Amino acid sequence: MMRYKPMAALTLLALVGLQGCASQRSESALDEASAAFQKVKDDSNVLRSAPRDVIRAGESLARAERLSSYIGTGADVRHYAYLSQRYSEIAAEHAKLALNQERIAKLDLDRQRLQLALREAKLASVQQQGKWVEAQIAALASEQTDRGLVMTLGDVLFDTGRADLKNSASRTVLKLVQFLQLNPRRVVRIEGYTDSTGTAQDNLKLSRDRAQSVADMLVDLGVDEKRIQVEGYGDQYPIEANASERGRAQNRRVEIVFSDDKGKLAAPR
Amino acid sequence: MRIQPLILAMAALGLAGCANDPAPNEQLRLSEQALEQAKAVGATEQVPELKLAEDKLARAKSNLATEDHRDARMRAEQAELDARLAEARVLTHKSEEQLELLQSRVKRLRKQLEVQP
Repeated sequence: MMRYKPMAALTLLALVGLQGCASQRSESALDEASAAFQKVKDDSNVLRSAPRDVIRAGESLARAERLSSYIGTGADVRHYAYLSQRYSEIAAEHAKLALNQERIAKLDLDRQRLQLALREAKLASVQQQGKWVEAQIAALASEQTDRGLVMTLGDVLFDTGRADLKNSASRTVLKLVQFLQLNPRRVVRIEGYTDSTGTAQDNLKLSRDRAQSVADMLVDLGVDEKRIQVEGYGDQYPIEANASERGRAQNRRVEIVFSDDKGKLAAPR
Repeated sequence: MRIQPLILAMAALGLAGCANDPAPNEQLRLSEQALEQAKAVGATEQVPELKLAEDKLARAKSNLATEDHRDARMRAEQAELDARLAEARVLTHKSEEQLELLQSRVKRLRKQLEVQP
């Protein structure tokens, strides 16, 4: 009996040797899978978002470890180690995704809240500005007449015989544009006037041209053409006597007649 | 005592015999489904795991054709998880992009609110 013992021992040794050789790769696969599993199994985020994958990673790893104690199972060990590692990776990825989604949901709420705040801030400032511009327009308007609110772009804005608006008009015109933008239903009639220098015929044309040059500027600055009427009255309706240069300067003017806030405009003169 | 090596040898043979299991049709179906799912969320061959999954599934199919069922099953199983990982990676990547976009928007909003009088 004792004679056979060395034989058996040799066989065993050979088998163990073989396994040792084959399992070098298996061992490293096992180590990697085990390391991946260690990382996910204690991570509460991963457990929460992908519990099933963590369980399967554990099961596959246990299977790989069990198989590694048998002989000739290298390929199976590596297979289950691979599966285990994949399950761990999938679980980790799902946890990352869930975390990102939580942050996205939170940020989206932030965004909505900020948008609302910004809109309110803008609205408040526009309202403030609106009131301010309205006050400015009222201050600029020379008279609240039976024609409604009338604003005069007066005296120094035109040279004698010229229809183009001087640069000093820009500020007033800008305020006008702002006012019209804040009051989108109001329309205007732009009325041109001249002093009594020159023929009535020329003055009529000149006054129309003056009104038109203001209208053009408004359109250039973004006011819809449909909201603007243009009239020329020549040297009619002077506001001062044409005897003095001062009086003539005041008669060279453009008046802007505003409609009420429903778009209703007083009839032309 | 003399029988022991014999038993071992037989056991080894037996294991090899067992390995020739039935055709893994169901597993192949699952793997294909996982692959489709990954592609549906936008995974392309740029995602290494998707490429792996496709290659393994193709090999699993040729293993199945030569009735090498054990290899077919293992490759299909690996292909399924490769595909699922590819899908998860694509989804995570997308969520990261979305997160970045939102972060920049929130930042811009905060800036605008700061300059607001």
